[in-house]
This record gives sequence, structure tokens and C-alpha cells, in this order.
Amino acid sequence: MADVRADLQALVTDLIAGHAGEWDRRGEIPVEVIRKAGAAGVLCAQVGTAHGGPGLSSVDNGELTAYTGGLCSSFRSLMTSQGMAAWTISRLGDAGQQREWLSRLTGGELAAVAFSEPNAGSDLSAMDTLIELDGDRVTVTGAKRWVTGAAYADVVLVFGRYGAGAAAILVPTTAPGVTVTRVPDPLGCRAAGHADVRLDAVRLPAASLLRGAGQPLSLLVTTALTYGRISVAWGCAGIMRACLAASAAHATTRQQFGVALADHQLIARHLAEQYVAEQSATRLCAHASAAWDANSPELVTAAVVAKHRAAGDATRVAASAVQVLASAGAQDGHVVARAHRDAKLMEVIEGTNEICQLLLAEHVLATTGGAR
Amino acid sequence: MTTSTGDRTTEAVQRELMGFLSEHTRTTWAPDTDLFAQGGVSSLFAMQLLVHIESTYGISITGDDLNLDNFRTVQRMTALVERLRGEGSDG
Repeated sequence: MADVRADLQALVTDLIAGHAGEWDRRGEIPVEVIRKAGAAGVLCAQVGTAHGGPGLSSVDNGELTAYTGGLCSSFRSLMTSQGMAAWTISRLGDAGQQREWLSRLTGGELAAVAFSEPNAGSDLSAMDTLIELDGDRVTVTGAKRWVTGAAYADVVLVFGRYGAGAAAILVPTTAPGVTVTRVPDPLGCRAAGHADVRLDAVRLPAASLLRGAGQPLSLLVTTALTYGRISVAWGCAGIMRACLAASAAHATTRQQFGVALADHQLIARHLAEQYVAEQSATRLCAHASAAWDANSPELVTAAVVAKHRAAGDATRVAASAVQVLASAGAQDGHVVARAHRDAKLMEVIEGTNEICQLLLAEHVLATTGGAR
Repeated sequence: MTTSTGDRTTEAVQRELMGFLSEHTRTTWAPDTDLFAQGGVSSLFAMQLLVHIESTYGISITGDDLNLDNFRTVQRMTALVERLRGEGSDG
């Protein structure tokens, strides 16, 4: 397993290293680079070998995700989306859907996952997108916002209302009625292909609807987001590693007041605090992934804890790194400038800080609170 | 499997599930109480419960079976466990 991870990591280095700054400035990653990673299984590395994937554990995929996130958060965001799509298909899809789609997603096809809408961000229960069954066809109508990776995607996994509950459906971006419009100039993860997706009475075969249809939206969304949260958390650990490396390198080479920056105690403190944040986030991520691999029920809350802590820490660490590098890092495309913008978005995506806090408070009250 | 062994298994599954529920919700649940109607169970907990059942009974709950009705009461969860174990489902 570790060998497979090492091979994938080498491919990631080969494809990404040295390009992230330019991709950030251009707001785009060459799609052939993404497809190459996808065809090697990098983008959804937990898909099993039976479906053509590398079959990494969550712990190994987590380290691969952190490594990728340290190089380029835009690229790592695409891993999060594709991995979430693959995981949702393996959860909600039947055997035939799993066979078809998981092999496509490990064969170079690219997927995005659409939750948010103009009127449904944190409150996904306000979702208006409608999925209707009509004989052997399904019609999807709605508008999705800020869909990570949609600008590159061959297929978008769309969540919407279905009967009294909800469903997830695979919508090819080439289907008539689908309009994908790039979000211009996003704050962070600028090359992650964020786009709005309009669905005008898109007609698809009924087989596009994942079998676990009609269930409460919260159950379906929690399933998908649990993968996404662990992935984002590892990505944030990677952001912190990149910031720490840049800060340490700068602090040892840059001289001010006759000594290296690192010899100024106020700068040394930045390094120490960045290190503590990176280490604690990594431990929380490893714990959530170990719970995932052991199929322990704790994984659900552990994923929220890891995501919430890692996103907040990455935001603080990135700001600290910009402070240490000062003018040397204060330019778009620079690793710490990217980190500063990218990390802030991680406090928003896959459940805002505030939604994570509400979920965790609810958990605390249910498990340790008194009767109310 | 004889009927009496089957009954004993059913009882053991029910007992184990009620233990998990009371441990994680600080509430005692009767086998036929609707967990979700009481508003005492969060969406995070619903998924924890799903993962618990899969790992405890070595089954995989996907596709059509991922239906909230299968998790509504201890009795329904027990029936799901017994059906999927009977099928020797490997997901």
C-alpha cells in the first residue's frame, strides 16, 4: 500500500511541482494534467482495485492529499471533489452503477459534486433543484452555485429534491440543458474550476439516478460530506506544511538587524506556533482516517472535528507565514500568498466554521448533555 | 439455522443495538420506538449508526438498503441486519 502511495506521490510531484503559482495566476490547470492524474487514480485513490482504483486506505490517501495540498490547493480541491463523487457512488449506487462509474472516474473522466444553490448554502434543506422520475427517464431542473471542479468536469453529481426526500443524480456536462459558467476571479483555489451549473429540464436515463433515492437530504449529504471533510482537513495540513517550510527557509536566509530572522524571538515564535498547528491538525486527520479505515462510527464526528480545526489552523498559519515572509511572499502565485487565500476558503467549504460548530455542539449535547 | 437459534440471534442483535443507542444518545429506546420521530437523533448520528451496524455485523448497506425506514426502529434495524447477513452481502 505504501508503495502504491509513493508511486502516486511521485506522479503528483511530476505533474504539479513548480506549476502551482502559474496556475493560480492564470486561474486554470491544463485539463490534460488533471486527466493524467485521474487516469492514474490519484483523484479518488480510495476506489478499490476491483473498480480500477489504487485502493488506498483513508490514512494513505490522506497523506497523499496533504502532500498534494502542500503543492497546490486548487489541484487538491479537485481530489476532494472527485473522491467525494466516487465515495457517494459507492454508497448510494447499486452494483451496476458502481461498476460503470467508478471505473470511469479512475479512467480519466472528471467529476464534480453540486450541493449549493443561490438560496441554499449552509441551509441545504432549502434546496430547490428538482429531480423527477418520468417512466424510464429522469428530469433535473435547478441552479447550482460554486461547484468545485465543474469547469473541468465530464459529469456533475447533483443533489436535489426527489419526492418527499432527496436523491443524487449523475449529469453529464454535455447533456442538453446543462450550462456551466465559471466563477470569475474566486478568492482562493483560483484554478479549481469553480463554476455555476444551470440545469434546464435536463432529461437523462433513469439509470443516472443513484439507487439510494428518496432518502432524507441530511443523510445523503452527510454521507458525501464526511469524505469531503476528511479530504479538506488533510489538504489544510498540507497547506500548513508548505507554509512552515517557506517560513523556516526564509527565516534562516533573510538577515535583518545583523542576524538571521530566525534569531529574532518574535519570528521564532511564529515558527513554533505554525509547527504546533500543523502537528495537531495532522494528528486529528490521522485519527479521523483511522476511524474511517476501521469503519468506526466515531469517524463521522472525527471528520467534522478535523475539518474545523485544520481549516481554522491553516488560516492562522497562512497569515503567520505571510507575516514572516513579508514582501517576499506578498504576491499572487507565491506559496504563502496562495495559502492565505486558499485556507480562508477552507473555513467556508464542506460546512462553514459555524455549521461545524453547530454540528459538534449538537453532538456534545446528545452524548454528554443532560436531558432537555 | 433453526427457529430457536434465529430467535436468540434476533434478541442479541436487538440488545446490542439498544445498548449502542443508549450509550450514544443517553436515552433508553424501546425496540419499536421511532428514533427519528422523536427528534432525538441528528444527521451525524444517523450515519454513525449506519457505520456501527456495518462494522459490528460485517455487512455493507448501500443503494436501496440505505433507506431511513430501515433505521427507524431497533426492530427494523435488526430485520435489516438479519436479511443482509442471510444474503451474505459483500456489497
